[in-house]
Amino acid sequence: MMGDKKSLKIIHAGALQRVVEDCLEILIKQNTGLNVEIKGAGSREGAKRLLSGEHYDVIVLADQALFAELLVPDLVGNYFIFAADQLVIGYDRTSRGSKTITEDNWVDTLLNPHVDFARSDHHLDPCGYRTLMVWQLAEKFYGRSGLYEALEGACIPYSLHPKSLDLAKALFTGKVDYAFLYSSEAKQLGLPYIVLPSKINLSNPAHANFYDQAAVTVESKIPGKNIIMHGKPIEFAIGISRDSLNPELARSFVDILTGPEGSSILEECGLIPC
Amino acid sequence: MIRKFKLTIPIDQTIQAELLLLLGQQPSHGYELIQRLNEAAFKTGEADPATVYRNLRRMDKDGLIRSHWEVGESGPGRRLYELIPQGLEALKVWSAYLAEQKAKLENFLRSYSQFDESLSKLDEGGDKQ
Repeated sequence: MMGDKKSLKIIHAGALQRVVEDCLEILIKQNTGLNVEIKGAGSREGAKRLLSGEHYDVIVLADQALFAELLVPDLVGNYFIFAADQLVIGYDRTSRGSKTITEDNWVDTLLNPHVDFARSDHHLDPCGYRTLMVWQLAEKFYGRSGLYEALEGACIPYSLHPKSLDLAKALFTGKVDYAFLYSSEAKQLGLPYIVLPSKINLSNPAHANFYDQAAVTVESKIPGKNIIMHGKPIEFAIGISRDSLNPELARSFVDILTGPEGSSILEECGLIPC
Repeated sequence: MIRKFKLTIPIDQTIQAELLLLLGQQPSHGYELIQRLNEAAFKTGEADPATVYRNLRRMDKDGLIRSHWEVGESGPGRRLYELIPQGLEALKVWSAYLAEQKAKLENFLRSYSQFDESLSKLDEGGDKQ
């Protein structure tokens, strides 16, 4: 009977789709007949879905700060940081300027009027607000006054490719030349990418104070109100919903992702297990 | 043409010793260790998070340190690492090895200093002629 079957609903950051699927494969082997339902979303959007009353057992987000801001303590108790990453500039071999772009000249390459580059929606996707933070930090790091505004002005509208995975598709189809992505996404998709200096790519806790100088305004959980997000090292986190119908199964999934098998999967997917 | 040689010990070679020492001083999670490593007087370069986490996992697997998930009361849960007796032994071996390397380097510098002095004397002798 279908009603007797155990089930698990997971909402996850789009960038973590393969990680979640691979971990689920292990969980399904341990629990024959398990029904699973997974939903990929921008992490801010995903957290807000829970706030609006949608039910999920497990929440896997691309920014650990979203748990504290939106979900803890009412909807989620504890949450665990399981991986780190960095922001990179992904491109395709056919992208304009791809033969000459480097870590040193990426700013001028992107500001070339014949080049199209994109970022995701900062209201829905942490990759979007992190990109804006990278641009602010780049302005300080390179000492180029006005760089943030120049990049924001030259970037194609974020509404066209709202999630970071949409950006990857846009790269493949040639709709954009460059996109700001997580390095794990670029690695999983086999895209070449430019590594940015660690002082601006949000990868290193040693630069946490420098990152903190970057700030982006996004829509808060209260409609019509905004909140300021400050730059932090990129960390992904997982939590179990307080109203999970299958907390033991949810716990098993968290144990897989945060255990040795999960570490191997994260590494295969280009993330840094924490 | 003047060439400048820079002598560096690759961070990957000593990072395990550095992490063992920091964990001996105080159990920490990876995020905090990266910050402490960057502030340490003995740092040999910018600590790369991937290198730090990879070495922590390796030492955990090798039984030099142990880890468990620490649930934050108000913040996130993180994996907390601590030094165990086998790790302390490894740290002692590292320390003896580094002392040996230091002695070798000092011997080299002493010999070099003597050689450099002899060269200067030769130069002075040549100038007089």
